[in-house]
Amino acid sequence: MKNKSEEKKYMPEISQKEIDELRKAITATSQRVVAENIEKMKKADPNRPEAMQYFDEIADFATREKEIRAAKQEGKKVIGYMCLFAPTELILAADAIPVRVNSGWYDASKLGDRVVPVEVCPVVRSTIGAKMIALSPYLELSDALISVLTCDGMTKLGEILSDYTPVWAMSIPRVKDSAQSMRLWIEEIKSVKGQIEALTGNKIKSKQLKSAIELTQKATKAFRRLQDLRKGSPVIMGRDAMLVNQTYMWDNIERWTEKTEALCDELEKRVSQKNWACPPDTPRVMVTGTPMIWPDNWKVPTLVEEANPQGVLVADELCSGERLLYDPVGVDEWSMSDMLNAIAERYLMASTCPCFTSEDGNEDRINWLLNKIKEWNIQGVIYYVVRGCMLYAMEYTRVKKVLDRMSVPVYYLDTEYTREDVGQMKTRVEAFLEMLSARIDI
Amino acid sequence: MITAGLDLGTQSVKAVVLKDGEVVARGKAFSGFDPAKAAEQALGEALKDAKLSMSDVGHVTATGSGMDMAPNSNSTVSMMGADAKAGVHLFPNARTIIDVGAEEARAVKCDDNGIMMDFVVNERCAAGAGAFIEAMARALEVKLEDMGPLSLKAERASSINASCVIFGESDVVSLIHRQESKPEIARAIFDAMADRVSSMVHRLGVNPDVVLLGGVAKDVGFIASLKRKLGVDVLIPDFPEYAGALGAALVAVKRVKKVSK
Amino acid sequence: MIMELIGEILKLTVLAGLTLAGILVILIWKKGLATKVTYLRFLVQVVSMVAVFYLFTYPVWQLIVLIVILVLPLFLGRFFCGWLCPFALYMDAITLIRKAVKVRYRILPDKLNKFLHNLRYVLFLVFLIIPFVLVLLDPPSSLDLATLLALLLSGPFEPLRILIGPIIPLIVSWEGPLAISGVYFSYPYVQEVILYSEVVFSEVFVNIIALVFVALTFVGSFFVRRVWCRFCPTGSSIAVVNRFKGFKWAPLLHIDKDEEKCTKCGICKRVCPVQVTEVYEQKGGKITTSMCTLCTRCVEMCPYEDCLKVKLGGKTVFKSRNWLEPSTTE
Repeated sequence: MKNKSEEKKYMPEISQKEIDELRKAITATSQRVVAENIEKMKKADPNRPEAMQYFDEIADFATREKEIRAAKQEGKKVIGYMCLFAPTELILAADAIPVRVNSGWYDASKLGDRVVPVEVCPVVRSTIGAKMIALSPYLELSDALISVLTCDGMTKLGEILSDYTPVWAMSIPRVKDSAQSMRLWIEEIKSVKGQIEALTGNKIKSKQLKSAIELTQKATKAFRRLQDLRKGSPVIMGRDAMLVNQTYMWDNIERWTEKTEALCDELEKRVSQKNWACPPDTPRVMVTGTPMIWPDNWKVPTLVEEANPQGVLVADELCSGERLLYDPVGVDEWSMSDMLNAIAERYLMASTCPCFTSEDGNEDRINWLLNKIKEWNIQGVIYYVVRGCMLYAMEYTRVKKVLDRMSVPVYYLDTEYTREDVGQMKTRVEAFLEMLSARIDI
Repeated sequence: MITAGLDLGTQSVKAVVLKDGEVVARGKAFSGFDPAKAAEQALGEALKDAKLSMSDVGHVTATGSGMDMAPNSNSTVSMMGADAKAGVHLFPNARTIIDVGAEEARAVKCDDNGIMMDFVVNERCAAGAGAFIEAMARALEVKLEDMGPLSLKAERASSINASCVIFGESDVVSLIHRQESKPEIARAIFDAMADRVSSMVHRLGVNPDVVLLGGVAKDVGFIASLKRKLGVDVLIPDFPEYAGALGAALVAVKRVKKVSK
Repeated sequence: MIMELIGEILKLTVLAGLTLAGILVILIWKKGLATKVTYLRFLVQVVSMVAVFYLFTYPVWQLIVLIVILVLPLFLGRFFCGWLCPFALYMDAITLIRKAVKVRYRILPDKLNKFLHNLRYVLFLVFLIIPFVLVLLDPPSSLDLATLLALLLSGPFEPLRILIGPIIPLIVSWEGPLAISGVYFSYPYVQEVILYSEVVFSEVFVNIIALVFVALTFVGSFFVRRVWCRFCPTGSSIAVVNRFKGFKWAPLLHIDKDEEKCTKCGICKRVCPVQVTEVYEQKGGKITTSMCTLCTRCVEMCPYEDCLKVKLGGKTVFKSRNWLEPSTTE
């Protein structure tokens, strides 16, 4: 690992004083935003499930930070990842802690502007800014980072962060269903397995890998249970479910699963009592697009659910949302080679990220969206893109054509890591929801 | 049945009073720093004109960017929704409704009941809105209301490079130095704006009949350029800048029926 | 005396196994088909093998089986291969041994697999033609239908029997040499291998050839799952029907896929013992494939509810469900 006094490849020199000031200021803002969001979520649903209290606590990063610090003291390693292709099962099997380190802070993206141009993806800029002032506790506590080179931003982000932490880059093939792609990806998985073992000093054996896979399978099961409950009348507000989903990215997985199952138990009671979180005829909206990371990016979900007329989010196709947990690892024989195959396939093949292309043009994503629309009774889709994301922006045309054919309204919402456009976003979101309400009335 | 609609725009507040489906009065006041007061003023004027009072009005709906600030409204509706309603009321075959205001341009696709089916808004660029003409008129040292007729005198348009209002001003100055005639420059300005607006409308799909609403619809220069760029005829109502308020008043009619049920 | 006792015990064990299997089948059926199809299938295979054992006692058993094999696939596809074939049972049993010693399986490259699929038809034709060639080489006195059938099915060469080679159970009732109290330990195709190599080679070589054949199939199915199925000529007779346009409705028992629910995760392709890629590749609707043995492992392992279904004439018999319990294997 490089000495901090050596010249960094990208990061500018900043005085420790400035770093501390900025960190203090942005942390304070972050805590304020977290509290505000949770306050709004509590108000939105008068009978908000009690089980949500646990998630509210974890949402404030400090709780988990303490736990991870304590674990590190005992010698455990923390491995951060930036894209959800990183094989969490391998990290868990080596008794390390997996944690996602994408930054969701608006103010940090302005700091990132000092390093890369404004046109670059704001998630990347924000992560750079967070690193610059040591803002993210998880990023700081990571002993290594797995950077999967899915898009241009990710590729260079890994480089920029490598000044501080070892970054293990994994090449992902852009065509996902050819035999040679699978070969490359399996080799990458094996290679990162070796790196994890070297870092942690623990050899990953079949038994541990089996338990790790079973752990994530249980988490997927709990998550699917939650999602199934959202198929009918709204029993939980979209923001609450999204928070539950997001906390998976940094929480202790076993505990998360337990708490989510408890939440589902409570929600099932609500269903039997017909105790809905909002009126059953509220327009049902799905969000698809670039990842929406807590806390600042609750901008759009908050607008949707606090608009007049109100909408409710019932599903999403976000890699910070459902894509984290929708697909399980399907193991045929519990031998090391089959488990590794299964892991590699789950991360490569099941993904609907637009960074891939295939003979039928990423039809997987289209099918995913169509299935969701039908089963969750979606009335409108918000196609959410942060400015600078070429991949999602380009795929919009295709998605719009398909949804137009199905007469499902889709609105392209293009925004940035800024609070300044809330007014503009509000008019657009409200017009969209108005449109959906009118269609329901007909 | 008497209803009223308020359009709280960034520059001015427009009010329309509707009685049994017919417009009986219109009112306008400049927003300034107190749009709430301007809203009261505009509505008050219109009611006085129609010899009615607030108590006669069954329902007031507000629209526009300042709609939440209207002190005397019963409900709100989005600008896109108001445009759709107004467009179809004024021209029953209207299916694509373009509204170019001072700072924002939008287009709405609707069905024959005036129900919105899709909409598009110009993103973060004022070069497709009224502010562009104002800035350019200043640069040309021509009065705003003279820009239109001036541009109609030109046979061709000069070429403007700038895509941005800010840079457009300096562009205009250099064109004048190059001895380009003012009519041709004016026409180029309208063409550039119509270009922006029409590419936005194309994202929606141009479905006749096409209707143009908003303050800028009074400008003959822009109308001519837009017709050229879209390649179809564009229908324009009388009092286009009151269309938003009219749409809101029409929505109010529906809402009264709902409430009374 | 002891040998006879052992023989009787063997027969009783077989009977008992049959009964037990029957009970267990009913139990599993009642408890919920969806969880352990593989267990059910294993049981059905055992039952089937026992049934075949008893079928051997009938004189025209070969004809019965042949008819069943040629007619059944119209309605049930290669269901026979997945659920009833004794040779398949051996290969699955060998696979169990492999899993117990924790050796990983090997996959054949797709191109080789596809080549083997096509080789089936060639082998089928060869097996079909050889008996007629042999008859022509050594013509009998009279060539009426009865003599011909007798020659082809139950004469000293019994040539056409090779088409049902896989159906020889491990234990055959037999009164000839090497019989132990009326039973004989056999192996699919071994008798044919012996018979045909006797034509060319001397006895010593013949025995060696027979042993080598057994060893190869054993080793092959140890490392490659269901290796014989991939080029089994018996299977091809079943598959021929699928290929023709007029028979689109056949087979009535087939796998059905919901296009939108499929996420192309590839699990179905990976777990398939015969490496069928059509379930993964085809977009939706009825999956047409000449290789699928309807073992339904893909349906069992598909993690998306209602995505893959096994349909019998339009009615769903078994469908993929949201499993997500630690998956237990065969």
